[in-house]
Amino acid sequence: MSTVDDRPVAEADEPEEPTNRPEASYRLREWLSRPYVRHILIIAAVITLLVVPAAWLVIFFMNMTGAPASSIMSEIEKTMFVFTIVSAPLMAITLAILAYSLLGWGRVSGDEPPMQESPAIRSNPIAITLWIGTTSVLAAFLVVWGVTELATITAYSYGSTPANQQPNATKRIDINVTGQQWLWTFAYPDQNDITAPVLVVPIDTPLYFNVTSLDVVHNFWVVELGIKIDANPGAITNTGVTPNKLGTFNIRCAELCGLHHAYMQTQINVVTQEEFDSWVREMGGSKTV
Amino acid sequence: MSTTRATPSTSVPRSPTTGEPVTTTARRNRLGVWLLIVSDVTGTLALLVAYSYLWSLNVNSAWAPPGNAWATLWPFWALVAGLVVATLLMWWGLAGLTAGNRGRLVAAAGLSSLIVLVTWIGQIVQLSTFPFGPSDGAYASATYWLALVNAGHLFTIMFLVVAILNRTRMGRIAPDNPHHARLVAMWMTWICVAAFLGALFATTMTVSPNTNSPSFGTFSE
Amino acid sequence: MSDTAVIHEHGHVPQPVQHGKPGGILRHTSIVTGLVSGVVLAVIAYLVGGMLMPQGTLDADGIQVGINAQIAATYIAWVVGFMAGIGAFAGPIRWAMGHDLTHDDAEYMAGKGQGKWRYWKYTTDHKVVGFQYLVISMVLLGLGGFLAMLVRTELGATWTEVFDPNFYNSIIGTHGIVMIIAMIIVVTGPLGNFVVPIMIGARDMAFPRLNALSFWLLFAAVPPLVTNLMLGGMRDGWTVYQPLGAQAPVGMIGYQITIITFAFSTGIASVNLITTIVTMRARGMTWNRVPIFVIGIIASSIMGLVWFPMFQYSQVFALSDRVIATSFYIPQMGGSVWLYENLFWLLGHPEVYVIVVPGTAALMELMVVFLRKPLFSYKVAVAGFAGIVGISSVVWVHHMYMTGWAPAAGYPFMLSTELISIPFGFLVMVMLGTIWRGKVWTRLPMMAVFAVLWNKVIGGITGVYLSDVPVDQYMHGSMFVVAHFHFMLMGAGLFAAMGAISYWFPKMTGRMLDERIGSIGFWTAFAGFQLTFGSMFVAGLQGMPRRVLQFDDAFNVSNWLSTIGAYTIGIGMLVFLYAIVTSWRSSVLAAANPWGAKTLEWQTETPVPLENFPVLPVVTSDPYGYGVPDPYDEIEEQLTDEDATVGAR
Repeated sequence: MSTVDDRPVAEADEPEEPTNRPEASYRLREWLSRPYVRHILIIAAVITLLVVPAAWLVIFFMNMTGAPASSIMSEIEKTMFVFTIVSAPLMAITLAILAYSLLGWGRVSGDEPPMQESPAIRSNPIAITLWIGTTSVLAAFLVVWGVTELATITAYSYGSTPANQQPNATKRIDINVTGQQWLWTFAYPDQNDITAPVLVVPIDTPLYFNVTSLDVVHNFWVVELGIKIDANPGAITNTGVTPNKLGTFNIRCAELCGLHHAYMQTQINVVTQEEFDSWVREMGGSKTV
Repeated sequence: MSTTRATPSTSVPRSPTTGEPVTTTARRNRLGVWLLIVSDVTGTLALLVAYSYLWSLNVNSAWAPPGNAWATLWPFWALVAGLVVATLLMWWGLAGLTAGNRGRLVAAAGLSSLIVLVTWIGQIVQLSTFPFGPSDGAYASATYWLALVNAGHLFTIMFLVVAILNRTRMGRIAPDNPHHARLVAMWMTWICVAAFLGALFATTMTVSPNTNSPSFGTFSE
Repeated sequence: MSDTAVIHEHGHVPQPVQHGKPGGILRHTSIVTGLVSGVVLAVIAYLVGGMLMPQGTLDADGIQVGINAQIAATYIAWVVGFMAGIGAFAGPIRWAMGHDLTHDDAEYMAGKGQGKWRYWKYTTDHKVVGFQYLVISMVLLGLGGFLAMLVRTELGATWTEVFDPNFYNSIIGTHGIVMIIAMIIVVTGPLGNFVVPIMIGARDMAFPRLNALSFWLLFAAVPPLVTNLMLGGMRDGWTVYQPLGAQAPVGMIGYQITIITFAFSTGIASVNLITTIVTMRARGMTWNRVPIFVIGIIASSIMGLVWFPMFQYSQVFALSDRVIATSFYIPQMGGSVWLYENLFWLLGHPEVYVIVVPGTAALMELMVVFLRKPLFSYKVAVAGFAGIVGISSVVWVHHMYMTGWAPAAGYPFMLSTELISIPFGFLVMVMLGTIWRGKVWTRLPMMAVFAVLWNKVIGGITGVYLSDVPVDQYMHGSMFVVAHFHFMLMGAGLFAAMGAISYWFPKMTGRMLDERIGSIGFWTAFAGFQLTFGSMFVAGLQGMPRRVLQFDDAFNVSNWLSTIGAYTIGIGMLVFLYAIVTSWRSSVLAAANPWGAKTLEWQTETPVPLENFPVLPVVTSDPYGYGVPDPYDEIEEQLTDEDATVGAR
């Protein structure tokens, strides 16, 4: 960013400042009293009010095929919500200027270049500073929010409490996930190495996934639980989650993996601890630790 | 660019195609060659990244060639030495040319083209005598391509040096118009660096530092 | 004689010996000899390859041993044969033999006296090359658009499989890479070549022969790409992640040869454009007087030049894995999938800006004309382009958040990705500032500015979501990503290119683009675009993965809407194409400067003469001297004179 910050923007090509300019507060009031400024601010406010409900709409769409079933997914939805709200004013001011320029400052049509020229505004240090300041603050906010959220969901992935990074449960279930064209296999090394084509897990227990692939790159995506990691041949990747809702959720492959990529999906059944224990016994594994 | 209608002065020859002084076109060509070098630097970087990254990963413990039959190292350095000598000769000849001695560049370019030819043949010999085939693991793959890219680079140089020899002989490259020879020498200097980096990687990165890479398709290391 | 006149003194310059008629061997070469030589050499390579192959010997995967080498040799022979046949090697050979070009040679090669036939030859004139690029980019856009219609047909027909998975996956991949290539060239090719040299007051590009070389390399790269569909297809998306690509039929080799060739073409074109802009500007055109479009082209060229070799080498290695059985990407043999992904995305992301930046710069250039206002804050615009060039090289890992490669890299790359929104915001600010208080002349090129800014806002905000690692954990690989990058590449790239082409159309063709039909096509496509990708966002939010041909019923409605929208885009684009073709053939000639613009290309006559200007121009100011003094400033001054503290107005 040094290319920008080193450059005093106020040095743009502009005539020398008149020495007898009125004071800043007066100029600001004068500027705000201009009709087009008022109109644009009003339009922008209206657009903001129209756009803000989109934040709920986004969440509504995300929940259409199933509400969040883990804290990770809840955090993701929270981030979507906040980002939508934060972007609304910037979107609104841009669209308001566009709309007003078509409606308010007049327009001409015809084949000949218009005779009437517009005001020769080459620069406006205050506007530039404001814009750069605002977008920088917004970007900084996004970075801070993103870094915090990433730390939070990473903590959740590893079954710890975000605040103190301490494991919040004494037991955790390791699951080895193997992708191959075009199916998933789940192995439970601590449960006598039972394997299953469908993931069955107990609620409120940290799950820890080791993921690999036997052929090409797949992507292990547990949709409603909000976790996603590539299954790479020749490497082991890790992720984790603690499901907090009973039910059946989708597992999809999210990386093109060949002809039947579309059909490479299965389910995760989140069940109670008792049901899980009996499922493990049924599958021939020992009782959970 | 000329700013007057006057007859071109005899001191600076002009490009017959555009009528501009050759110093103007030379400036343009120099920038062009620099940009080509930048582009080739990225390409070479891609190769070096591939080499060192696969070395550091040792995926499936399959970096090393079968029987640890690494390539002999001295040929890499011998080829670099050949390139460096050829390049130094070109600069030496160029210095002679700008001092007014066209014969020296003819001699230098002639000698240089011989050395480049020998180096190129040496590169082909090295390629065909590696103690492994291209399919013998990641080290073999990366080393083959170090050699193949160097062979390609040497091939461009061979063409360029022979052309410079020919053009100097014909007087197209002359003390007042030495620019093409300088461009070729610039390109050769970069190729020396590229070959040096290749040899350096081949020398310093053989046995992979990663001894516990997971074996393919399993969860054990 | 004043110092304004820079005259070419050909007559006074000693000429080398003219060997034969001007043009030499190039008098006899054209696209016909190129095609013949390319096809003949390809057939020979194919037959020889077939003879050398151990017939009937199958490898472990049941594939004929040697077939990859045979097909690769065929394609390489095509490219080399075509280039040789059209005369691309004549220049270097003449140079090595010391037979330098005379001025007559150069004029012949620039197409002098060859009429329309010069468009089919190895012609060096930048205006000819510009036209050639214009036509080939329209052909590629048409092909990519047709494939997009097929994709949407499959996805809209939710009740059945229209195509078999192999063909479907191949058309997604081919659509992707055809469109990427088309979008990379659609502004920089026609306008960068045709307009930029005139705009900076030069007679031609710095390296006219390289200019012809870059175009014909691109031309030679197209047949391998198209024929892949006949050789089993490249069924792995445009990214062709390895080792999936290694499984594909031999059609994949077509893709790899195309990328390797196209990378040479782009590199050469970038060298040429940068050198031209840096060294050949008219007298007086200092860096703060360079039109902003030229700045955009140079920014885009720098990114292409520096990063394209990464992509090229990624494909060289992939081809080598196929043909000589190396193992760069074969994990069993020590290769790494992350190596491919890194090399690919090292170009893959800057390439997005290679596509978006020239279009944006073109809109900045033209909007001042339609608003009769100076460009708002030229310096911030330049800083925005510079910032994008700088930061774009350190954001590639945001495509790899979910690959498991260095999870901790999510933090720095989230930072860099979100930082790039700041220089991108500069560009939006410059455009809004230029629109501010301007009276709009509502012609099609100007209306494209509004369309593109709308798309940029949507694409920018959805990009902010995706830059965030936690959100990407849901969105990566979903239709949301597809919708987002179409908003950037098509919404901000293609619609800008349509505006830019309609703006420079009268200079290039000598005719005005039909305003009415062109606008109908443009806005139909725009409306269809909003429907297609607006509903695709919804499908992505619902959790639909990309590159699938069947999916849950939950996604049906949004896919139906997308397909309806896509057909609408198709109709709109056909109408726009109709406007281009009929206007081009129209007999009504346009004025030399129909828009009343101040940049140099409009000051020379139309059609532009062979060496662009009778007398090279001298520049004394930037080209944005539009506008009248701000009336509000005058009011303010009056008030100041009376009593500034009164405050009432």
